[in-house]
Amino acid sequence: MPKPKVAFYWCASCGGCEEAVVDLAEDILKVVEAVEFVLWPVAMDFKIKDIESINDGEIAVSFINGAIRTSEQEHIAKLLRRKSQLIVAFGSCAHLGGTPGLANFTDRKKIFDWVYLKAPSVINPEGTIPLQKTTTIHGELTLPEFYNSVFTVDQFIETDYYLPGCAPPPDLIIKAIEAILYRNLPEKGTVLAPDKALCDSCNRRDSKPEKSVIKEIKRVHEVLIDPEKCFLDQGIICLGPATRDGCGQRCINANMPCRGCFGPTSRVQDQGAKFLSALASIIDINNEEEIKKIIDSIADPAGIFYYYALPASMLRRRI
Amino acid sequence: MGGRAGIYLCSCGNNISDNIDFDNLTSYLSSLEDVAYVKTYNLFCSEEGKNFLYNDILAEKPERIVIAACSPKEHEKTFRDIIKKAGINPYLFQMVNIREQVSWATEDKTDATEKAKAYIRAAIKRVKLHEPLEVHKINCNTDVLVIGAGPAGIETALLMARANRKVYLVEKSPCIGGKVARYEDVFPKMECASCMLEPKMDEILHNDNIELFVNSEVLDIIGYLGNFTVKIKKNATYVDKEKCMGCGACYEVCPVNVKNEYDYNLSERKAIYVPYTGALPNVPVIDKEHCIRMHPANDICKEAFEMGLITKEEYDLYRSETCDLCGKACMFEAINYEDKDEIIEKSAGGIVIATGFELFDPSQIKELGYGKIPEIYTSLEFERVLSQTGPTSGKLLMKNGKEPESVAIIHCIGSRNKKYQEYCSGICCLYALKFTKLIKKHSPSTFVCHIYTDWCVPGKDNQEFLNLVISECNPEIIRTSLPLNILISQKGSKICLKYNDLTGDNKEINIDMVVLCPAIKSSEKNKMLSLMTGVSIDKDGFFAESHTKLAPVSSNIEGICIAGCAQGPKDIQGSIAQGAASAGQLLSILVPGRELELEPIIAVIDENSCSGCMTCVGLCPYKAITFDKIKKVSCVNPALCKGCGTCVAACPSGSAKSMHFTTPQIFAEIEEVLK
Repeated sequence: MPKPKVAFYWCASCGGCEEAVVDLAEDILKVVEAVEFVLWPVAMDFKIKDIESINDGEIAVSFINGAIRTSEQEHIAKLLRRKSQLIVAFGSCAHLGGTPGLANFTDRKKIFDWVYLKAPSVINPEGTIPLQKTTTIHGELTLPEFYNSVFTVDQFIETDYYLPGCAPPPDLIIKAIEAILYRNLPEKGTVLAPDKALCDSCNRRDSKPEKSVIKEIKRVHEVLIDPEKCFLDQGIICLGPATRDGCGQRCINANMPCRGCFGPTSRVQDQGAKFLSALASIIDINNEEEIKKIIDSIADPAGIFYYYALPASMLRRRI
Repeated sequence: MGGRAGIYLCSCGNNISDNIDFDNLTSYLSSLEDVAYVKTYNLFCSEEGKNFLYNDILAEKPERIVIAACSPKEHEKTFRDIIKKAGINPYLFQMVNIREQVSWATEDKTDATEKAKAYIRAAIKRVKLHEPLEVHKINCNTDVLVIGAGPAGIETALLMARANRKVYLVEKSPCIGGKVARYEDVFPKMECASCMLEPKMDEILHNDNIELFVNSEVLDIIGYLGNFTVKIKKNATYVDKEKCMGCGACYEVCPVNVKNEYDYNLSERKAIYVPYTGALPNVPVIDKEHCIRMHPANDICKEAFEMGLITKEEYDLYRSETCDLCGKACMFEAINYEDKDEIIEKSAGGIVIATGFELFDPSQIKELGYGKIPEIYTSLEFERVLSQTGPTSGKLLMKNGKEPESVAIIHCIGSRNKKYQEYCSGICCLYALKFTKLIKKHSPSTFVCHIYTDWCVPGKDNQEFLNLVISECNPEIIRTSLPLNILISQKGSKICLKYNDLTGDNKEINIDMVVLCPAIKSSEKNKMLSLMTGVSIDKDGFFAESHTKLAPVSSNIEGICIAGCAQGPKDIQGSIAQGAASAGQLLSILVPGRELELEPIIAVIDENSCSGCMTCVGLCPYKAITFDKIKKVSCVNPALCKGCGTCVAACPSGSAKSMHFTTPQIFAEIEEVLK
């Protein structure tokens, strides 16, 4: 029996998800033994035509990491969808838009203005900015379209499963691959991680009083963080209560609060709004002046609440 | 998910059909996939309409029902009952308000018709997601806890007891009757306060259905309507009330003299005492803070002696653990030095909070000189001066034993002013008039003046009382824009009052005695009781009624009523009316043998998905959420939950769900309206 064909692809991502695959360590050998890679740009040389020549539905599973920001990424995502039985959105960016998705608080024009014209490190006296088509003496050059917004993978193609995390932890990757190989899959559309919030496994939970109230919000560099105590109870914003469990508390164990990379649970549509609502509920201030003061003390609130999930939220972007 | 809906459109006697094109609406709705049929009727709420609806539902057996008519506040219950009678779960129904929100609100008929389409479409999408809900029933306890034995609490307790309900009446002081029992006369009819209250107080003491806990406090309340568990701390009184005859032999021999707080420190009492003559129950208590036998200083004294810090003589002089003068004096062996504080647990179905009020402390306004100048009294202190059981045995005397030649009564101290209490206490003008009458009764030649801003004397008999006092007693009436701005100082043997009259001119008057009328304030202890019970307090610290007009004695917690000045400043008749209203409320809810129906539109927390973050625990205004420390999840008590949705909105993992208002149901509705 031929080995099942597997594709890995990266869109708007940092490469961390590719690292996560390598992080499987010796387990990766088992994977390599069990499957045939038909596409993995970071590790092997493939061309688009190699994929185009595969029969529709011939690839068992494509793991797509990164958000979708350009027409090329959209094109390949759609191509892989046609060629694959299953699509797994791999990592926070593919799943929720991820940190690249924070660009949805601005737009293409502002990004180009800054990156190519105004940033202090830029020397660009002619004011050149990327164009989709440029005519040179050697002929016409083209670039993919840079969209005004960042999108999640499932905003372009039907997505069968999601592996959450920035990046997804090895144990969840292995479990997902095993489930695919042995066809032991949950309902389509499932996020392949526990469906409770992070507090459930957090070893600081017992330190939290039943009626936790915050009077002041602090940033991580402003205080000595008690490594035993609930972050929220210390006045440090931690998205754990609004974030899906399964990461193995990598940040918490490093004495850093949760930033929400696993996204919301299946019951919540908008992680940022939900967290904001929960945070507002435990802030123990009732007069307007003090309320304004505590709101002002949150540096970049939109960025904190929608760190990973702006494109997947109800807001999607700044209008 | 649910099936197709039967749609019923009510034309509401042309109220709706005049401004909405029913033919257009019917044909549009009939074309929708999720609609089984559309039927129109004029007045579904009429007897004929109800019969039509009932028979039609029986015949059509729709899977879901949408009725587009008036406001759900008006007839949702009517229709639910019919649907239930027709054998369909009444929660598989959604009502759309196309009268107040569409026909009456949108002028253009085409716009209104389109709007009605959107609203009904939203209801059709929503009702598809409805779940059948069941009303559960629980048994209830019909006993009642009354906190506070002032006029309001006494009234509730008596009415409940007469209806054969067991009443636990808890009072923090050693006697009942509240502050009123210490007044001389009450306005407007100048009745003797203690004579007026005595029959009621007597009945409290002798009614077998009432268990009275004086010198006691409520430590904890848990549970819900029909099933409260109450912890009462009964402080040791060291006197056996069964043996005590109230002869007073014990306090006659007590060597300790302390200021009597029941006379606002204007007199002294013993360490074993009854608060004032005629206090009921007539059983003394030992004040362990001051009793030299009970006093904790005895232990310190002993320790100091053992450590050699004081001599044997000094030790013998100071230590008094052997004092048993009262015990020896009692002929009935009623004194029990071994008495201990007791914690008693009781069950009750309903609770009435009637904890009374406190006075605004005038020493907060330094210019008034209260607390520094001896002859300045608050109204409550002056009540005692006038009372026959008070420090002067009812004689109008100053602290130097002389009769005052002149008395000034200053209104609105700390009331009607944003800096202190913005509200008008409503009774001060009237008792100030009563004071005038009583002063004149004691000594007709005494000069009385009122310094005030406005007379506030609403209600039956009260204006007449004002007219009568002014014509009979002829007090000097000084109107000023702000009594708070009066500057009061001691000037020789007189008190000098400097004020601005209405024209702004500086005026001065010299007086022997000043009576301040401070605002009626909420008790500081309300906060504790609010935390314990979940009953909300308002911005002024009074317990908040659930509706100012329609539910003035109900609180936000079902089964807990509020009465008297615990709810806000009021006069005696107002307090008694609220006490009676509270009894009526509880009698109508807590009926022996009747089960209580639990509202099914409540929040539930899925223990399989709750992460135990506890965000919700402190938020519930009804104390319905508890944290299960073993399972590490939050749980909603269905009997306490009112379905407000606060926890649902706050739950960061979406594990709290509002029945009948689930996120998918609400989103489905919003999406359709916005389509």
